[in-house]
Amino acid sequence: MAKRETKREYVRIRADSGQHRRIIAIMVILGFAVFIPIVLQLYQLMITDYSYYANLALRNQTRTTTVTAHRGTIYDRNMNILAISHTVENVYLDPHELKQSKADLNLVAQNLSDILGVDKEKILRLSKDLTKRYQQVAANIDEETAALVRSFINENQISGVHLEPSSKRSYPYGTLASQVLGFTNASNTGAEGIEAAYNAYLEGTAGKVITTKGNNEMDMPYSYEKYVAAIPGCSVVLTLDATVQACLEKQMRSAIARYDVQNGAFGMVMEVKTGKILAMATLGGYDPNNYLEIADPTTAQELEQLRLAYLAQPEGSEAREKGKAAYEEALSAARLKQWRNRVLSDGYEPGSTFKVLTMASALDCGAIDLKTGFHCNGAEKIPGRSQLLHCWRSTGHGSETTAQALQNSCNLAFAHIALKLGGERFYDYISRFGIMEKTGIDLAGESKGVFFPKELITNTDKWGTASLTSGSFGQTFKLTPLQLVRAVAAVVNGGNLMEPYIVEEVLSAEGKTVLLQEPTVIRQVISEQTSKTMCELLKSVVDVGTAKNAAVAGFSIGGKTGTSEKIDVLDENGQPTLDKIVSFIGVAPMENPQYIVLVALDTPSRATGMYISGGQMAAPTVGAVMADILPYLGVTKDQVEQK
Amino acid sequence: MAAGKLYAKEDRRKMLGETVDIPFLILVLLLLTVGLIMLYSASSAQSMYDTLYTSSVKYLQKQAACAGIGLACMWLFSRIPAAFWLRIAWPLYGVSIALLLLVLVAGESVNGARRWINIAGLQFQPSEIAKFTMIVLFAKLTKGFGTDARKFRYGVLGFGGALLGILIPLALEKHLSAIMLMGAVAVVIMFVAGTHPKWLLAGAGAAVVFVIVYVSFMGYAGDRITAWLHPESDPSDKGYQILQSLYAIGSGGLFGLGFGKSRQKYLYLPFQYNDYIFAIVCEELGLIGAALIIALFGALIFRGFWIALRASDRFSTVLAAGLIALIAVQTILNLCVVTNLLPSTGIAMPFFSYGGTALAVNLGEMGILLSISRQRNKTKNQEVTT
Repeated sequence: MAKRETKREYVRIRADSGQHRRIIAIMVILGFAVFIPIVLQLYQLMITDYSYYANLALRNQTRTTTVTAHRGTIYDRNMNILAISHTVENVYLDPHELKQSKADLNLVAQNLSDILGVDKEKILRLSKDLTKRYQQVAANIDEETAALVRSFINENQISGVHLEPSSKRSYPYGTLASQVLGFTNASNTGAEGIEAAYNAYLEGTAGKVITTKGNNEMDMPYSYEKYVAAIPGCSVVLTLDATVQACLEKQMRSAIARYDVQNGAFGMVMEVKTGKILAMATLGGYDPNNYLEIADPTTAQELEQLRLAYLAQPEGSEAREKGKAAYEEALSAARLKQWRNRVLSDGYEPGSTFKVLTMASALDCGAIDLKTGFHCNGAEKIPGRSQLLHCWRSTGHGSETTAQALQNSCNLAFAHIALKLGGERFYDYISRFGIMEKTGIDLAGESKGVFFPKELITNTDKWGTASLTSGSFGQTFKLTPLQLVRAVAAVVNGGNLMEPYIVEEVLSAEGKTVLLQEPTVIRQVISEQTSKTMCELLKSVVDVGTAKNAAVAGFSIGGKTGTSEKIDVLDENGQPTLDKIVSFIGVAPMENPQYIVLVALDTPSRATGMYISGGQMAAPTVGAVMADILPYLGVTKDQVEQK
Repeated sequence: MAAGKLYAKEDRRKMLGETVDIPFLILVLLLLTVGLIMLYSASSAQSMYDTLYTSSVKYLQKQAACAGIGLACMWLFSRIPAAFWLRIAWPLYGVSIALLLLVLVAGESVNGARRWINIAGLQFQPSEIAKFTMIVLFAKLTKGFGTDARKFRYGVLGFGGALLGILIPLALEKHLSAIMLMGAVAVVIMFVAGTHPKWLLAGAGAAVVFVIVYVSFMGYAGDRITAWLHPESDPSDKGYQILQSLYAIGSGGLFGLGFGKSRQKYLYLPFQYNDYIFAIVCEELGLIGAALIIALFGALIFRGFWIALRASDRFSTVLAAGLIALIAVQTILNLCVVTNLLPSTGIAMPFFSYGGTALAVNLGEMGILLSISRQRNKTKNQEVTT
């Protein structure tokens, strides 16, 4: 029975062959045909476009971490370290990791607080903020402290507390030569001075580490790593001498105190024959280790008062906003001021120090000679000048030789020298002395002062002689201290205008010389003979003239004083304040000039009762500098006295 | 268990025939083994991450347990005559619809869609049961309709009505992938049953229109289509999934990175252990490995239809064809999505993707195919005796 029934069923199905045909069709479609496009697509993805997807996948799976290059060191010429980078570490928390590892937050906070001196509550707060994966607890900690943190992490098997290497720039000499060195900003890039001018050499080339990393920072067991080493930055060796710099700054600082100088001081020391800068200072400076802090206590106090004043205003009030803006403006102005290298960035009226150039020009072209005579009666009507010209000494200097004119710093005599020289020749010499151009020093931020337009000097028929004569004794125009020093160096070094420089050598990390700077003569301005004559004249200014205070027993020093009124600084009534810049530019030793020193004191106080002049204030300062540095630099007294 | 007592021992042996189809059994076990191994590889990184680096086998353990349950089901079902399913087709259908409706009220919400139901601590998707139920019912209907299937009343309205009973609750669940899958399998069975192809074509057209309307009603159609055609236009968000999948497949090359050496599985490729497991297979085993696995599936599908062809009655034939078509359509749709031939839908890869219910149900279904395969010997014997 059963057999028969199944047989009937079987036969019936066999009869319905249409159904079988359809199943076979479906079998071929679902078991074979539809897989063809899939396999073709796989072939396209895995064979044809293999490298395209493999590259994208690799990029997808790797992380590139930048490795900061070690920043080069700045040395003085005796290889004393002026600026150096240290490897330090930052400590940070990953709140997610802490939570996942079920770390004891209290233990973590307590220990980190003990090691790092950070408030425990603050660490607790940071560790609980799950919106972040990076919470910095401490920055720039030293190796020893980092080791303590590391051993705490290891002993307690904490995951979620991390250390990362970082770099910190430090300036061992503090404020010394701060504007020359400059500083590095938060991103470790040079922002001022040498740090900025030589940043390309100092910063090196960042390296990178390419590692495979799973998503969500998962580690991959067979991760591969590609390491591109960082190239450490080059070191820079300066011509600057830390000892000379320290002497200069010390004497300037004591002058500021002695003469109650209101507005800081600037000065420099240069080798006259090479143009190498031995020292360059602007006081008050700042500490590049804390470059944002205002170093001058008076200014800092004023700023603090401004800050407290606006904080006292009710929150959200207009007065508070205004006060805040004023404070921030004052703060940023104070910072810019303390960072500024006045020696090369700011012009000033040179006053009588400029007479050196006028006289050298007149002697060189033969407009005057040493036998030329002058007469000064205190005031005189100069042709081409509408007003009576007064000498600084109202009683007059009487009859003078050329040498006496310089020794007395007689304005009337120099007006006559200028007239003899004539506008054309005066302008030509002054421009050859480099007063209309930048010196080309290898530091950032140099300016070039403001001299008269040529027309005003040369076309005396049209414009009179006021500019020519005032110019001859250094008034009513501005130049930078560096321009003056370089020009006077040319006067005493045999007549060669040099290009000043402050970087002697750039060394690679392996110690190879990458860049070596040599002295560069730009042009010969005056003859060697004129230069010799000028040396004798300058020596006489110290020996018998206005600069007796610069004399240092045993050394032959020459130089020229200068006292200039700041005619462009007005008081609240719109009248010139008659604030003075007193200066002295000195050279030594005069038989064979090697070093030139300029010191300028900006606005000595009238309250001290002293007569405000370069001879009284700047000359003794330069004398003190010379007394300190000449023995150090190997200029012996004996050698001088034998002559 | 109940099924076992329906027949006396000797009758059962007679009805079952001799042995199950060994090649088919081997293919199933081979795919299951390869699938479990690849699931371990693909899920290990995720498991480590989930367990805070304490275990790499979190997913493998669950999957292996479900495979055990599935193998037990397979063995059991391979011993139950197909006629049993014919009897309980309608009750089963009723239970499935009830479960589908239950999930709408009492289901557990995963990613904003209610598809899971929790019975005595066991989570499963009623839609997995519904797929099977629909195939059983359609086989029964095919047997009943006979040659009448060509008529509109039976071939279209009959099947269509039964299909709608399941599709409507699924539509309410917003379970688009299940709808597509069942629609496709239903079309296959109706075609086999003899429904005129013009109605099937019309139905397919209607389905396309329905899908377009339905998807735009769900509100993210534009995004999905853009992510499909131009995944690189939004690599970090909408195109992320498919791009990561293509990176994995493409970087496999001819020979692959080697077993266990996928990089994309380190949390780059989301769903690397379920819907997108085939991308990891491609990355590790290369085109050769992927093609071999596809060939295994092709062989399984051929052998499955071969079993259907050799079955002794119309119900068994259609049931076998429907069940193997279900495996085939799932595989094909999954591979098309992973290789970006089709926009993302959410269909798992049989035997490979993580998912306990699906694996157990698939293995159970393979058990039914094995049961039907016993009839081959019987019919052969019959043939000889005739």
